[in-house]
Amino acid sequence: MEYTKQEFMAIVTGREIKDGQLIILGVGLSMLAGYFAQLNHAPNLMAFTEGGIYGSTPVGGLPWGIECNRISANATSFTNAIDALGFLVASGRCDNAVIGAAQVDQYGNVNTTGIWEEPPWKAGRYDPPRVRLNGSGGANDIAVGAKSYLIMASHEKRRFVEKVDYISSPGYLGGGDARERCGFVGGGPSAIISTLGILRPDSVSKEFYLDAYFPFTNVEEVKASTGWDLKVSPEVKLVPEPTDRELANLRTVDTTGSLRKKG
Amino acid sequence: MRNKLMSMQDAVANYTWDGMTYCHGAAFPVGSDSIAFGKEMVKQGRKDLNVICHCGSSQVNLLAAVGAVRRVEVGFSGLEVYGFANGLNRAVTSGQTVIEDYSNGAMAFRFFGGAMNWPFVPATVNICNDQQWCSGDKPEVYPATEKIPTITDPFTGQTLGAFRSLRPEVAAIHVTMADIYGNAIMLGSEWSRFEMSRAAEKVVLVADKIVDTGCMRQYPNLVRIIAEVVDAVVYWPLCSWPQASCGLYDSDEEHMFYMNKAMKSAEDTEDYCNKWVRSYETPEQYLELIGQEKIAKLTATETAFLMDPYRKWIRSDIEVAELLERAEG
Repeated sequence: MEYTKQEFMAIVTGREIKDGQLIILGVGLSMLAGYFAQLNHAPNLMAFTEGGIYGSTPVGGLPWGIECNRISANATSFTNAIDALGFLVASGRCDNAVIGAAQVDQYGNVNTTGIWEEPPWKAGRYDPPRVRLNGSGGANDIAVGAKSYLIMASHEKRRFVEKVDYISSPGYLGGGDARERCGFVGGGPSAIISTLGILRPDSVSKEFYLDAYFPFTNVEEVKASTGWDLKVSPEVKLVPEPTDRELANLRTVDTTGSLRKKG
Repeated sequence: MRNKLMSMQDAVANYTWDGMTYCHGAAFPVGSDSIAFGKEMVKQGRKDLNVICHCGSSQVNLLAAVGAVRRVEVGFSGLEVYGFANGLNRAVTSGQTVIEDYSNGAMAFRFFGGAMNWPFVPATVNICNDQQWCSGDKPEVYPATEKIPTITDPFTGQTLGAFRSLRPEVAAIHVTMADIYGNAIMLGSEWSRFEMSRAAEKVVLVADKIVDTGCMRQYPNLVRIIAEVVDAVVYWPLCSWPQASCGLYDSDEEHMFYMNKAMKSAEDTEDYCNKWVRSYETPEQYLELIGQEKIAKLTATETAFLMDPYRKWIRSDIEVAELLERAEG
């Protein structure tokens, strides 16, 4: 079957989204995974964006942004950021979400802010980054408030690091009960879906381990592509290939083929 | 009520100055924003700005690219699928612009705090991570202690973050339609424009359409920005271009990439400004610059039906020009 790694990642992420959930979706892969799930197996998914756009599905291709006209042409309600990120997310009401990561570490902490020669935690000061990224956007609010959420990231050693340069959106921080001690409302990330497999947090230490890998890779490659000593589940599984139906549904959502352009 | 229509040139001359705390909104990276107002600020040479924007957009990208931004507070600085904001990022990595990062939720809460005239807003977002520990204002202190100080909930003993409320000196807010008094209707996501309009000391609306007040009397529930908090109303069609305005036009895909690419270097930014910022005076010249063919394409938006209920109240360009003549400053 012909598909790209990005398409597989979107489908596997979509499989983690359950029917009837209240879910907040971000731009790009997040929306593709979410609206794929809605079309494929979760018809009663209640999806919204952080701008407070409710009840809509994309029209004319992948939206350019969370407020794009492509996601505003069939909405049932337009509200605002206080409503979406505050009343629905910070309150603890939102069930699920999908966020992206430039870097992610063994505890699911996400960096989307910048890359430093010497990161602030090492330098002991906050100098301008070598590369400025985008900042957290709504992902920090989601990471703190959503009941659970999914992280999507390209599986490369420079991205799967032992410690991220900057925690833009907190996962399990230093592990264990660190989240509870901060008083966060939400439960933390339930999985990291990468271009090679699925990582899940240990129930006690909260360190992410390899739970399943994609058919085109193997455990050694996943470990070699990870910047920390990745633990592997004794019952590590092979992720089932996308079905014809799943691929067709994904491509219905990804009409402009944004996931087919990447390797 | 006072007729608050004002030309773009006069609004920027009267409501902006060097060194000010300037807020633009909605500040969506792809959608609604008062971008034409920011371009006029570039034309009038504003500098040393302290900019508050809920998100970055093509406006702060341009202002930073020309070196006009001393400091910026933002929840997200990129242009979403259009990429990283090259002009803003160039200013940040070179150290020219100090960036103070918050989350999008925190920015909305802080506008709400400003609107309520609270000194701070308590929340559990942004704490226990680098959003709290890294402060552009005090880079030598890590972890930072003054950006989001922790406080204790007097009722439960829980630790919370204290977020400084936002009270910008002036906010230039994009709206879909406004009447001459400053009552406004926004289509699409409101983002934080409702709170922003109440938090700012002065509010300038930049409207794609001017409508008769009868429109507001028909849909008073939808009038989320009220004349009572507005100081000036600027009529500027396609004022969010190259970004989108829900119900009226889509984002200009070609120009978004082209503009952002130009922001990568000071030289290309200067060329861009000569071609696309300093090359027009009136809304007519601005529309001519964008071009009829492009405008026809952008306005053929899937969201156009959202404007149907309001069309009968839209004032023509000639009517708006007459109303501007009679404006009361």
